[in-house]
Amino acid sequence: MKGSHTRYFALALATAVLLAGCAKDNGAPSSGSAAPASASLSAENSAPPELQPATFTYFNAASAGKDGNTNETTLGKILEEQTGVNFRIEHLVGDLNTKLGVMLAGGDLPDVVVPDAGIDKMLDAKAFIPLNELLEQYGPNLKKLYETYWDQLPAEDGNIYIIPFAASKGFVPDMYQPGAFYIQRGVLKEFGYPKLETLDEYFDLIKRYKEKYPQINGGSTIGFEALTDDWRFFTLTNPAANLAGLPNEGEVYVDMATKQAHVTGDTEFTKRWLQTLNKANDDGLFDKESLVAKYDQYIAKLSGGRVLGFFDYGWQITPAVQNLLQTGDDDRMYMGFPLVLDKGVREQYMDPPVFATNRGIGITTSAKDPARIIQFFDNMVKEENQKLLFWGEQGKTYEVDDKGRFYRTKEQIEQRDPEFQQSYGFKYFSYYWPMGAGLYEDGNAYFPDRQPEVIAASYSEGDKKILEAYGLQVFTDVYHEPADVEERKWYPVWTAAKQQGSPEQMFEQKKMDLQRKWFPRLILAEPDKFEAMWEEYAAQFRKLDVKTYEDWANGVIQDRLAGKKR
Amino acid sequence: MSRKSYIGRLMDQKTLMLMSIPFVIWLFIFRYLPIWGWTIAFQHYRPGTGLWEQKWTGLDNFRLLFQEEAFYLVMRNTLAMSLINLVLGFATAITLAILLNELRSVLFKRVVQTISYLPHFISWVVASSIIVTALSIDSSGIVNLILMKLGLINEPILWLAEGKYFWGILGVSEVWKNVGWNTIIYLAAITAIDPAQYEAAEIDGANRMQRILYVTLPGLKPIIVLLLIMNIGNILESGFEPQYLLGNGLTADYSDNLDIFVLKYGIAMGNFSFATAAGVFKTVISIALLFGANYMAKRFGQERLF
Amino acid sequence: MKLTSRTRTAGDILFDIGNVVFMIGLMVVTLYPFANMLAVSLNDAMDASRGGIFLKPRVFTLYNYEYVLREASIFHSLMISVLRTVIGTAVAVFCSAMVAYTVSRPEYLLRKWVALAFILTMYFNGGLIPTYLLHKELHLINSFWVYIIPGIVGAFNIIIIRSFIEGIPDGINESAKIDGAGDFKIFMKIVLPLCTPVLATVALFVAVWQWNSWFDVFLYNSSNPKLSTLQYELMKILQTANGSSTQATIGDVLGGNQRGVAANQVTPTSIRATMTIVASLPIILVYPFLQKYFVKGMTLGGVKG
Repeated sequence: MKGSHTRYFALALATAVLLAGCAKDNGAPSSGSAAPASASLSAENSAPPELQPATFTYFNAASAGKDGNTNETTLGKILEEQTGVNFRIEHLVGDLNTKLGVMLAGGDLPDVVVPDAGIDKMLDAKAFIPLNELLEQYGPNLKKLYETYWDQLPAEDGNIYIIPFAASKGFVPDMYQPGAFYIQRGVLKEFGYPKLETLDEYFDLIKRYKEKYPQINGGSTIGFEALTDDWRFFTLTNPAANLAGLPNEGEVYVDMATKQAHVTGDTEFTKRWLQTLNKANDDGLFDKESLVAKYDQYIAKLSGGRVLGFFDYGWQITPAVQNLLQTGDDDRMYMGFPLVLDKGVREQYMDPPVFATNRGIGITTSAKDPARIIQFFDNMVKEENQKLLFWGEQGKTYEVDDKGRFYRTKEQIEQRDPEFQQSYGFKYFSYYWPMGAGLYEDGNAYFPDRQPEVIAASYSEGDKKILEAYGLQVFTDVYHEPADVEERKWYPVWTAAKQQGSPEQMFEQKKMDLQRKWFPRLILAEPDKFEAMWEEYAAQFRKLDVKTYEDWANGVIQDRLAGKKR
Repeated sequence: MSRKSYIGRLMDQKTLMLMSIPFVIWLFIFRYLPIWGWTIAFQHYRPGTGLWEQKWTGLDNFRLLFQEEAFYLVMRNTLAMSLINLVLGFATAITLAILLNELRSVLFKRVVQTISYLPHFISWVVASSIIVTALSIDSSGIVNLILMKLGLINEPILWLAEGKYFWGILGVSEVWKNVGWNTIIYLAAITAIDPAQYEAAEIDGANRMQRILYVTLPGLKPIIVLLLIMNIGNILESGFEPQYLLGNGLTADYSDNLDIFVLKYGIAMGNFSFATAAGVFKTVISIALLFGANYMAKRFGQERLF
Repeated sequence: MKLTSRTRTAGDILFDIGNVVFMIGLMVVTLYPFANMLAVSLNDAMDASRGGIFLKPRVFTLYNYEYVLREASIFHSLMISVLRTVIGTAVAVFCSAMVAYTVSRPEYLLRKWVALAFILTMYFNGGLIPTYLLHKELHLINSFWVYIIPGIVGAFNIIIIRSFIEGIPDGINESAKIDGAGDFKIFMKIVLPLCTPVLATVALFVAVWQWNSWFDVFLYNSSNPKLSTLQYELMKILQTANGSSTQATIGDVLGGNQRGVAANQVTPTSIRATMTIVASLPIILVYPFLQKYFVKGMTLGGVKG
């Protein structure tokens, strides 16, 4: 609050507006009407006009969740006190394209929309308003937060329609491991904690262990498990490029010398990856059933402790890890390594911070008072509010030590049950708003689960033991630091928008169909038939519209190198 | 009475008209009016843009459909799975209805009826998970266990990895899930059979088999024929969830059907025009088949739909 | 049935035994999925993800039910579900039967055209967006009536009922006509009562369809919690439990994955099992209740004799 003069003036104005609002009943966004407003009149801090209660609708197509009002949560209440704004949140329940299709056709748009992959549809239908002037006028904090990325925000016509999430400053590794070849700690212990570098070393270890222990927990030992269920099939295709020391760009890899994109589908490294699995299958190490199993069965198998190795991402295996943790047998827990095909190749499993410009939040043409919404956004990205939204309130959900480092006590870490996350408001504000990422100015991590103090406190005895054996602080220390973003300004190609039904989208679908059909066959083939089958597959792969796709990818790279948004 | 004009005769049927015409009007509004949407099939439709501002593409969407190499494979699978479901579905439901009718205890009959229709209420996601588990080569795979106990196979078979088994697995799964539900309509029809017919047959010395053949089945015939005609019209609807959930890359050459194809290349890409074009294609085929089946029924002097 | 009066032959007895054994087998196979769902729903979710739950829970808990019943605004949505099922079914059965009666009258000049107009609608639809726009024009969006009005008559129901009415001996209607009864009276007083088995069948079909519908809620009423149904609420919970797993978005992958969602006490599998039980028990119980209308059929003979 400013001086007392302003306050009285504000009070008078608020009253006037309030009366006018009542008389007119024009359905203005200040739908909160009399009750809350009169409450704030009697409060010692009266509401200036910009604090008039207003409720906007917010549609989140990117994630599922409980619908409701932000001001029913602790954090949402605090923000409402600061701004007077409440959001009624609705999450997408069914199919994205269907819902956006009818919303746009019928013109019934919520005030704020997070359209996820439907962003092209929204822009195509001109459903978002340009934000340039509003940001100029009401968004000083937003401008500051998005400073480094500002030139990436405008669309081709120069207007800013969406505000992307997570403007990173500084790099903090994820608590979950990115892609890794996981192996049971019992295997590592058996062979004296060797440092694993290549895929061959990895399978060799698995083979020797399986020969020695053909049974675990009363069932036959499974050497290597794959995850291939439905859209999770990428878990089988992604490792190929990583094994060649390349980062995951999606369907292409980029030659750093020429900056040219090439598809990965028929490359030597993809072939060698599959051939290794083919050999593993011939050695009886590969679980054939994983080619037809569902995700549930996959998790059940990992939880059973009989699987020695698999490739996956940390976020896909959390239930299994929790189950294993609960049984208390650390030998059956896993540790992941970023493997490569050939010794000496530098791996690039870990992504540099990525600013995805084709996902974000926008204000629709139906919004009655966009300025209020931008003001709300601007208020929420102030550093103290960002800390509030992600860490909560000091003394309640986190503590600060004498060096200014944030940490959480054991009890605070355990406040992770969904009810608390929901009622406190962490759930509503965890993503899908204008926000930063990385590090705060004081060096603390943006998100608690990336703060070393918090991560370390959640490690089990077994975790600590194996970290010590390998001389690591946290598990993500097994990776090399990601390459400098400046060197790969386009990274990653896969975040670029694709037109609905465009040739590049068709290519990806056809490629997916082809690989789903052939990869399992190549893995199960008799080893001496592998070569011929690979040739057959590669021939079919090359029949796809590879050139158009590579051209598209190169276009993305060139545009992004030139600082254009794609 | 002198012969009245058509209009005149119609005027005598005011009550019948009052009882049906309002619903025909309703039908026109709710079912026929939205057909204007078929124009989408001839456009590159973008929602949120006015209908007449859309880009017209002529038959491009249909061309895309028919020129796709996968289309013919997908059609084969659709027809094969539909026919299997049609034959198996009819045979099992009618048989079960007759067998239920032969049960002596009314209570037992009701219990069986109620329990056998339970799987209809389980979603395909759940059902497919149960099926995958039952067909597993692991220790939980009851199908392999039983077959091995019986000595029919020597080592477990990975059923879901072989395309040639897929249609069979699907057919059996459909029966398991829906046989109880499909029976209901036949049970209702059996109640309409005049008990006097059974008595007469019994007096004539008919045994149980003969009673089934000469009383129950003929009693069910009208409804069987009607359902058959309607289902023949639906032959391009072979379902989508079970194929999607039970299929995988190894069986895709057998499991991918028209609906999955449209889902992948139409709906999932937000391509409403392509999905609509496929819908129009399906309608044309369906209505042709419907008239064909109805005509055949007429030729053979059977019950017909219209 | 009273057909058992005659002495049973050895073949009869063998048939009966075989039949009963078959039925027991059938019940085992068809009861299993439900029993399995029940066991999973009563089992600790994380423990269940280890697999191997068949007929009885390994780590018993009621938490899944507690969670589902708390998260779903269950009582209100249950009420809407019951309302739409009851009203929708009553309207659909009555209106379908009325149309079916008219198209079953041989003298009705429009019978063929009316029947065909309905039958054709089984094989096409105008598509999602035109239908949506129509409902919007008719002010059915954000309204309870969008659950009822678009489904008041079904072609399939008409055909089934018509086939049943046509099985009624003509004599009954004729004698009523002679007595001076109009078509509407015949329909109400004679046809409807005679048709109970088929009406019960159609009622069951419509009721199950109404009860299980959630797509219309999704399309038309998703932003109005007051009109949400049980199925839709459960669908929401399921998708929330699926978290990022149904839609791996860039946001989820890049933005710290499932921040704040960890420590799953429920899993999609356990929610789905619990949901199956919660959502289907009420509707399953409708069938045993309707069954008493299936054993009739004597009425026909009664009237005739």
